Amino acid sequence: MTLKVLTVDDSKTIRMIVKKAFQSYDCAICEAENGAEGLAAATKEKPGLIILDITMPVMNGIEMLDRLKSDPELKNIPVIMLTAESGKDNVLNIVKKGIKDYMVKPFKGEELIERVRKIMPLESRTEADSAENKPVKYFTQVEDIVVLTLPAKVTRPVTVEVEGKLQAKIQEMTAAQIKKMILDMGGVSETNLSLIKLIIAAFQQCQQASVAVKLVANPKQSEELKGFQETSQITVSHSIEEAKTVL
Amino acid sequence: MSDIQALDLKGFVTHSVQSVFHTMLSMEIVLEDPPDKAGISTNGHIVGTVGFAGVVMGTINLFVSRTFGREMAAAMLGMTVEDIGSDEEVNDVIGEVCNMVGGDMKSRLCDAGLTCSLSIPSVTYGNGFKIESKGYARYEQLGFRNRQHSALLELYVKSAN
Repeated sequence: MTLKVLTVDDSKTIRMIVKKAFQSYDCAICEAENGAEGLAAATKEKPGLIILDITMPVMNGIEMLDRLKSDPELKNIPVIMLTAESGKDNVLNIVKKGIKDYMVKPFKGEELIERVRKIMPLESRTEADSAENKPVKYFTQVEDIVVLTLPAKVTRPVTVEVEGKLQAKIQEMTAAQIKKMILDMGGVSETNLSLIKLIIAAFQQCQQASVAVKLVANPKQSEELKGFQETSQITVSHSIEEAKTVL
Repeated sequence: MSDIQALDLKGFVTHSVQSVFHTMLSMEIVLEDPPDKAGISTNGHIVGTVGFAGVVMGTINLFVSRTFGREMAAAMLGMTVEDIGSDEEVNDVIGEVCNMVGGDMKSRLCDAGLTCSLSIPSVTYGNGFKIESKGYARYEQLGFRNRQHSALLELYVKSAN
């Protein structure tokens, strides 16, 4: 059953990060930008989980929490506080109010998911949902080599997604004793920092799992990669066939 | 209760800024001494401000160039700089970075017995202006660098008494 998650934060950026953190799970996210809106949304939507900031205009998170806990219909909704304030007294006071967990900013979306999983199960989206939302298929297999094909646009969310999928794929490969991978960036339209970080992360993951990896890029991309300190030393093949011969 | 003068405010802020940039923006940022003030004000700058008030009072100002502000917004939102359409996103990200740095400072002050509350962050844009707060017991100025970009953080603290 889809879990309704209400994120209450005056920062649109934080709400977006929370939303992205849950995107791989069977969750519906609703948003509110202060405690007053949060209470109204909680009453209307009856969420299964509330992620709540403290410092907000109009009504802060502490007041919203107090009002939630005094409402018989809302008091049992699990609340995770997500706030920049980590003072001991502050934490103790809030924990006494009956929250499920307390998370201090800065944070990563993956950490938030880990905390949520400690208090409730999260179901991954079904294959059909995933196909609908993410039509990109990253991995193919050619003989005993797995090819990771990067999409045309590599942004930070893509990097996070591919890194997660790569980790799972490498585990599968290890179990199946497949030890070769080609990272094909030939279709990527722009050599940006997200792409560089993804290449480095992919190489590190492969190295840790003793998987041999070769990078495929077109000549223009090869030149661009030399301009980044992190990728300047990587040997690049210009086609998958060429990479297969050196693996 | 601790004495304001005895607190390692510089250490607190340095750790906090580096942690926020690393975790939220995936950017490594190092101390730069002396700060590159000229680099920050090229093409105008953005100042994020957060205040705290209670037993102690203070302000944190974070100065970055508009270019760096856009790069920070892109990094935190997982977009490219070209995707950042308006100043609204930049404001939100600069404000949130200040909120996190200010929240950490507030927590450390509270843990030292110097109870205070944190304000909502505000963001100011402009060219060639200077912000100076008077009458503070402690003033710290720290420069940071990420690749070609610089940031300047100013911290003012005084006792409410």
